[in-house]
Amino acid sequence: MISFDHVSKRYGTLNALQDITFSVPKGQVLGLLGQNGAGKTTAMNILTGCLAPTSGSVSIGGKDVLLRPREAKRMIGYLPEAAPVYDEMTVRAYLRFACELKEVKKSAISGHVEAVAERTGLADVLDRKIGNLSKGYRQRAGVAQALCGTPEVIVLDEPTAGLDPRQNSEMRNLILSLAGEHTILFSSHILSEVQAVCSRVLILHHGKIICDRTLHDMQGKEHRLRAVIDSCDEKLLPALRQLHSVLRVEMEANPNAALTQVVLTVDDSGLAERELFTLLSALQMPLLRLAPVEDSLEDVFLRATMDETV
Amino acid sequence: MFAIYRREVQSYFYTSAAYVFLGVFLTLGSIFFGVTNLASRSGNLLALIAELSYLWMLLSPILTMRLIAGERQRNTDQMLLTSPCSLTGMVMGKYLAACTVLLLAVVSSMMYACVVAVYGKLYIGETAVGYLGLVLHGCAFIALDLFVSCFAKSQMTAVVLGFGVNLLVWMADVLASAVMIEAISQALDFISLYRRFSPFVRGQLSLSSVMFYLLFITVMIFLSVRALDARRWSEA
Repeated sequence: MISFDHVSKRYGTLNALQDITFSVPKGQVLGLLGQNGAGKTTAMNILTGCLAPTSGSVSIGGKDVLLRPREAKRMIGYLPEAAPVYDEMTVRAYLRFACELKEVKKSAISGHVEAVAERTGLADVLDRKIGNLSKGYRQRAGVAQALCGTPEVIVLDEPTAGLDPRQNSEMRNLILSLAGEHTILFSSHILSEVQAVCSRVLILHHGKIICDRTLHDMQGKEHRLRAVIDSCDEKLLPALRQLHSVLRVEMEANPNAALTQVVLTVDDSGLAERELFTLLSALQMPLLRLAPVEDSLEDVFLRATMDETV
Repeated sequence: MFAIYRREVQSYFYTSAAYVFLGVFLTLGSIFFGVTNLASRSGNLLALIAELSYLWMLLSPILTMRLIAGERQRNTDQMLLTSPCSLTGMVMGKYLAACTVLLLAVVSSMMYACVVAVYGKLYIGETAVGYLGLVLHGCAFIALDLFVSCFAKSQMTAVVLGFGVNLLVWMADVLASAVMIEAISQALDFISLYRRFSPFVRGQLSLSSVMFYLLFITVMIFLSVRALDARRWSEA
């Protein structure tokens, strides 16, 4: 559905994108990850036709964005990082305008606006001025305009930026509800957000793709558990290393010297917790806490580069 | 294009832009009318039209500042640029919206003609030619300031740039006579909007001036489209 073919973009001497090639099949939700300045927004702006690539080509549904812009743009709904809303307009007038821009048939506009507003949770504020709405509603209005015309491809550039936790969760649910019906390109620099909504992740770093895998592949066959054990007996670590499902044991500092805090890298057999409980019970060392370790973006970066996928 | 045109016209009236433009134009226009026509008991509206034409130089940036620079400042340009609407359609929609407000100002100023018609003698032909010149002159300034607005990142910059460029255009006549190099002098004289306007305030319908204004507007709109397109290739 989306195809980037050897796309590069230079801003003077800065290489914002360097020979990017990837494609997104219909219905997939692709997360574009990267630190600030990695090239996510540039890639999205090129996809949506706001920017032209220095070299390479981008097509949507087989239509080149530069050569057949009108046809390609008919298939896109775009929410930039800052919602493109007009403060002086009501939500209804704004969505009507978006429908007209997307060439929705005049007779269908009213119904379409109602349907999009219902879906994005804007039905209650349709006749309110956008300038008087909260950040969350403004962001929803931005998503709603991207949905006008029922585009096949939806491009969302950090849609949760600046939202409070509740609005954040609502936005994720909204994106999840769009998955399947639309091909979605979603950018963020927050890994947990991407994990929550995407089936595939593409990591950009200094304008290059350093990782392009499904989320399942990325998480791999290893999991990490953080354990806090009420003991500092020297037999503990060798015992942990003897467990079948434990691949690696790393000590961590704990403010309480009487406790041992370790990060266990375990396989995906699902037996790690059981083995650990059995062992500690036998050794009479109480397990105070056991929790999965969430990967930070840096961890994923490190793993991606360690796997030589650069 | 029509969606953008309609939105822009509505937006002028949802915000204060149209009211400021019309308010200042009609207030100053009424003062000019009082001094030029009422105080001297003159029915010559061409002198008033000549004075009104200077207001475009001051007021045109108020209409154009929001058109491109305002969209860029609010980030709404991305919504337009990613829509199936062409750049030409987008620029034309915005340009025509600004011209609509300008036309409204010109139509409102016709109340002065009504006053002259009631209490004196109105030379309809001459006055109509004068008003045609006033509209073309205003539309040319809007096209020029729309082009200038393409280079500004904020509305304030667009206004300041617009005033500056308008002042230069106004001074083109003066500069043309001051510059010693003949080629430059002739070029300045050729592009002078005020020189092209002068036949209209004499009541003469100059086809060459009409053609010049239409060509000037077309070139400015073309350059605005090119400037916006060029941004896609270079913008950081």
